Amino acid sequence: MSELLHTDRVSRRFGGIQAVKDCNVSVQTGSITGLIGPNGSGKTTLFNLITGVYIPDEGEIFFEGKKITNLPPSKICHQGLSRTFQITRLFWEMTVLENMIVPIRQVGFRSLLGPNMFRYEIDRAMGLLERVGLTHLKDEPARKLSFGQQKLLEFAAILMADPIMVMLDEPAGGVNPTMIRFIMKLIQDLNREGVTFLVVEHNMGVVMELCDHMIVLDQGTKLAEGPPAVIQINPAVLDAYLGT
Amino acid sequence: MELLRRWWKPIALLTLLAYPWIYRAPYYHLLGFNVLLFAMMATSWNIMGGYTGYKSLGHSAFYGLGAYLVAVAANELGWNPLVSAPFLAVIVALVAVLLGWIMLRTSGSAFVISTIAMLLIFRLVALNLREITKGAPGLSQPLPPWSPEFSRMPFYYYILFWLLIALFISWYIRRSRFGLGLVAIRDDEGKAEMVGVNTTLYKVLAFGISAYFVALGGGVWSYFTSHISPVFAFDIIVGVDMILMTMLGGLGTLWGPVLGAFILVPAGDFILFTFGSNTIYLAIIGGLMMLVIIFMPRGILPTIAEWIENRRAPRIAHEGAHSMAEMYDQSKGKTVAEDESSHERTASH
Repeated sequence: MSELLHTDRVSRRFGGIQAVKDCNVSVQTGSITGLIGPNGSGKTTLFNLITGVYIPDEGEIFFEGKKITNLPPSKICHQGLSRTFQITRLFWEMTVLENMIVPIRQVGFRSLLGPNMFRYEIDRAMGLLERVGLTHLKDEPARKLSFGQQKLLEFAAILMADPIMVMLDEPAGGVNPTMIRFIMKLIQDLNREGVTFLVVEHNMGVVMELCDHMIVLDQGTKLAEGPPAVIQINPAVLDAYLGT
Repeated sequence: MELLRRWWKPIALLTLLAYPWIYRAPYYHLLGFNVLLFAMMATSWNIMGGYTGYKSLGHSAFYGLGAYLVAVAANELGWNPLVSAPFLAVIVALVAVLLGWIMLRTSGSAFVISTIAMLLIFRLVALNLREITKGAPGLSQPLPPWSPEFSRMPFYYYILFWLLIALFISWYIRRSRFGLGLVAIRDDEGKAEMVGVNTTLYKVLAFGISAYFVALGGGVWSYFTSHISPVFAFDIIVGVDMILMTMLGGLGTLWGPVLGAFILVPAGDFILFTFGSNTIYLAIIGGLMMLVIIFMPRGILPTIAEWIENRRAPRIAHEGAHSMAEMYDQSKGKTVAEDESSHERTASH
């Protein structure tokens, strides 16, 4: 296994709050890595740092061996790194199919002026929609979908960009158990097809079952890492979660 | 109904082509010219304000710049305005790209204010750069060589031609990959950037394109009136009119800005003739706009489209989807201030 993503002593401060501090995190190619930690431990900030929403105060971020520290988010997406959001974000006024078409890995000037949907893109989008069971809703505006469907659509849409690595921010948050199982199955299937995952999740059952490696954050730094079974009984981790 | 849907475009075009021959009084030619001019400029503004959601209040700056470039070129170099306007408007579009590259780092109300500031700067420069602009008294151009009673007709057909081009560009952008990216920016800019849309490039290009036809309109207008001065060339009302027309007809729709111009320009004239004073005209148009915003916040065309859709069949597929859509609508109050705060929310989260 080789290292796909790694952060080198990344720090970010917001006013008086040190959200992320000297954080070294690495994700192996082909893995499903879990990122856990108590509320406010810097998980989402770390996501935002990696995807270019925030620029780190210090430290560097490498993806596939290339430095992506100061790249704008769109360029990072073009490199093959996609993400979802804790609170689902879609293009609400667009149809489901249009939502699928917007994410793109790389666009040349010619295709910018071309029609908004090429036949092969529609075929690909429909294939992905089929996988998440949304084909019958392709012409509905995204805002009319139910919460769970919106989550699935967000997930399916970022796959259109053909990512090497996907970062999921609470994929199981607020959805029913059946849907959780469905999403877990989807993640595992995609992982088998070669997509690497970094998953933030509060539902411990899901993380333990899904991930093959786990990273625990606390107060902006890495507290521990290792296989789920080891993390589960790590006293420092239990301490951070339960407090003493 | 089906017949109407099929034939309304050729019928409308034929009507517009025949119009100056049916209504031959000079006033009607002036009215027709103004309607088409504003339809073109509102269509152009809509590419930025409607598709992309960045509402510029300073597009009059491009109008004035186009007007002055054409006038100066006609006076100093002897270029025929109707020939030079489309080319000089390219320069204005490039200026807009450059300024947009700076201003589009802001969004929401900060962007709106920066566009107003841009307009005021242009106006100050035009007032003070006396060597070129002749300052406050303004700049005169030679009259068109045609006979006076005929003179407005070439302008009318000329601007009709460019309105069609502007509509074609607007339509083409809307159905292109570029246009999809613009609408994505309007819906959620952060998300668009995150899924690989180079939002800065898209916004700057859209800003340049939307400046082009406004500059062209300014250039043609300067020849049409044959005398321009900074106060009228860089008048914020021109930009505001484009916005009101677009919002009345339907923000972000292809035909909305045209419909808005066809309603508001004659309505403005009508009010002017009935009540005389210029300020009353503004007050009444303002009141009208408030009514539109209260009862048809999305403009005429989207409201009609919604009626038709609702009459056809209820197409809700899911329980609860309706209430969620309502919640979403409520949470998006559509005012600039709220847009700004929601932008900050998404940026900080």
